[in-house]
Amino acid sequence: MIATTTAPARPQRVLRGLAVRQVRRGALVVTAVCAGMSALVAVGYHSEALDPAALAALARNPAIRTLFGEPVALDQAGGFTVWRTGTVLAVLLGVWAMLSATRITRGEEDAGRWGLLLSGRITLAEAVRQHLGVLAVVPILVGVATAVAMIAAGVGETGSLLHGSALAAVGLFFVAVGGVTAQLFVSRSAANGVAATVLVVGLLMRMVGDGVPALAWLRWLSPFGLLALTRPFDTNRGLPVSVLAFAASRPARTALLGSVVAFAVRRTMRPLAAWSAGIGAYFLLLGLIARSMTEFLTGNPEFATMAAQAGFPALGTVEGYAATLYALLAVPVGVFVAVRLAATAADENARRLTLLLAAPVTRARLLAAEAAVAGCAALALITVAGIAMWAGTATVHAGLAPGDALAGAWNVVPVVLLCLGAAVLALGWAPRTVAAIGALPAAGGFLWQVLADSVDAPSWIRALSPFAHLAAVPATAPAWPPALVMAGISAAGVVAGAIGYRRRDLSA
Amino acid sequence: MSVSALRTENLSKRYGRLLALDGLSLDVAAGEVFGFLGPNGAGKSTTIRLLLGLARPTSGRAWIFDTDAADVAAAHRRLAYVPADVALWPRMTGAEVLDLLARIGPGTDTAYRDELIQRFALDVSKPAGTYSTGNRQKVALIAAFATRAPLLVLDEPTSGLDPLMELQFRQAVGVARDNGQTVFLSSHQLAEVEAVCDRVGILRAGELVEVASVAQLRQLHHTEVTATFTGTPPNLAGIPGVDDVHEDAATSVRFTLSGSPAAALRALADADVATIVVREQSLEEIFLAYYGQNAR
Repeated sequence: MIATTTAPARPQRVLRGLAVRQVRRGALVVTAVCAGMSALVAVGYHSEALDPAALAALARNPAIRTLFGEPVALDQAGGFTVWRTGTVLAVLLGVWAMLSATRITRGEEDAGRWGLLLSGRITLAEAVRQHLGVLAVVPILVGVATAVAMIAAGVGETGSLLHGSALAAVGLFFVAVGGVTAQLFVSRSAANGVAATVLVVGLLMRMVGDGVPALAWLRWLSPFGLLALTRPFDTNRGLPVSVLAFAASRPARTALLGSVVAFAVRRTMRPLAAWSAGIGAYFLLLGLIARSMTEFLTGNPEFATMAAQAGFPALGTVEGYAATLYALLAVPVGVFVAVRLAATAADENARRLTLLLAAPVTRARLLAAEAAVAGCAALALITVAGIAMWAGTATVHAGLAPGDALAGAWNVVPVVLLCLGAAVLALGWAPRTVAAIGALPAAGGFLWQVLADSVDAPSWIRALSPFAHLAAVPATAPAWPPALVMAGISAAGVVAGAIGYRRRDLSA
Repeated sequence: MSVSALRTENLSKRYGRLLALDGLSLDVAAGEVFGFLGPNGAGKSTTIRLLLGLARPTSGRAWIFDTDAADVAAAHRRLAYVPADVALWPRMTGAEVLDLLARIGPGTDTAYRDELIQRFALDVSKPAGTYSTGNRQKVALIAAFATRAPLLVLDEPTSGLDPLMELQFRQAVGVARDNGQTVFLSSHQLAEVEAVCDRVGILRAGELVEVASVAQLRQLHHTEVTATFTGTPPNLAGIPGVDDVHEDAATSVRFTLSGSPAAALRALADADVATIVVREQSLEEIFLAYYGQNAR
């Protein structure tokens, strides 16, 4: 008789293999997006002779700096690319790195899959170390790919390499934040919440530090501020990167159980409060700088034209400014809706819904409750943003009427509805993809529009993004026909998703 | 005519190429405690998922008290369920989960629930994230028994319980039976099934191979008889129902008996029988016989 035994592999290698399998797909997407966007924007940059006085005025304006970061070296393709994409890509990479870090460590542990793993020769510390070690390679890859893509697009080498390194360092920072919170807090969701707070606070510190000269030192405390301080293509400073690379983070009942709807509300309250705080603070800040921004653009019409070309038209009036920035609101709120329905899918997959569905509760009722509560929470979030921006503008007497503020915020409802429709559709037919598909109309649509604008794509390509169909409310009247079409598509998604959800077998 | 608490007709479920359940027709009368047995992967959990409307049958139908099982809003008003693997929201305490299940469930006897919490010695003030498997199972068991729903569907409900809690479980099933509730118990614990069930169904590879009362099952199988004699043992060959005769010693005989024992007893009485030990096979032995037929 021949006995076959598996040769004992080195456990570290097995662990690394397991970690690679869990992050490779996301890593590829993030790398492609970061490198691709940087290269596309650099290639699409049209050098225009900018008058140095105008540039200086732009750099002096606190509102511009708050919103887009300090504009430096805009006369070069590289400088423009970094200014245009740096923060967006850093946030994207940071969010992915942080969520992946908690998912592959705490998430796997909470799901009980590490029980088997740790019963072998592997210790918990070893497992965490190997997983985070593999994840930490990804930001480096992203940085290298971005630098290579920019150099290939014909941008200067030193600046590209510096920008790539800074991007990689931000990613590493958030791998560390996610890794630490995953071990400090009792659950994956708590760890994610704290890590996301670190990210939002970091972003706000960058914005405030850029906007208020007296508080400029705040930027040295924020990964995003440090990213901006590297000033690629300008002074090409290396010190902030080294600060980034060594900054290890040291971050810190029976109501509503009466019905399926009430229970859905209960589970939504905590995330809604956290998202409201983040989005509210962001839009309050946008409101506070509204006056400074609009006055600057009125005084420097050439920048108004430039901003229009970059996809931010009509920033010269407070209504136009509000309309432009409220459109951005669709992205976080759309992602919020997708994440809430993904939580329903996760509850199903973890068998937590089984006991609910064994009660006299139909799937249709459960789905209706979850979708309606997610939708209403999104409306609350939109309203919070509307009021926050109005409060900011009212503080600086920018002259935005409260009705206009709310109308501008509510203008993004059709895009959020699209996200809801897409998420319900995914829940009905492909429950593992709810978050990705649900966030696609908002996050994907926004990236699509930015890309299309950056490369001067034909109008039909631009029209594929829902953002192309949003009217600039409150500067102009709402565009009802596209809004109704989007609502119709969303309703179709909800109906198709509900049919799938009622028919399919529930997982586990 | 007695009412069926649970009935299936040619119920089949196919997952891709795997036929998980093949034409199951089952009828569980109201008020009985029914044991549902079978090896791993035989289709027990699939059957329960179909009965609860969590999965959709490929063909066939199921009824809960003459309500189509697919109509969960009506059917689930008359049943309570304990899953094999209980998952709870980790931040909610046991009391909160019980409150939630009571308020959306088919109606709960809160006094009995409090008594069950005492009996199962569950600390309901702790968040579910800190519970062991057994404690999570207790939450689901307390919620189910406290409903007084006419049908209790229990899927391996005691796999995480210690022997003391297992005893509490058997008592709770007894209380349910006395209240006229029907219990559908899927289990691997044959001693437990033997102790609480009136009838059992045996599932193998997606097919129902036997449905009988525990007593009938034993009759279908052999009774083992050992007799000692003061004189020479009788010749038992050729007596109806007697098989496997072994003469262990000069004065002792061991044989198996099936069917009526009358002829064998007469033969024993004619000889000078000193002692007689009649032992029925345990459910476990009967099951090992069933599983064994399929074993490699």
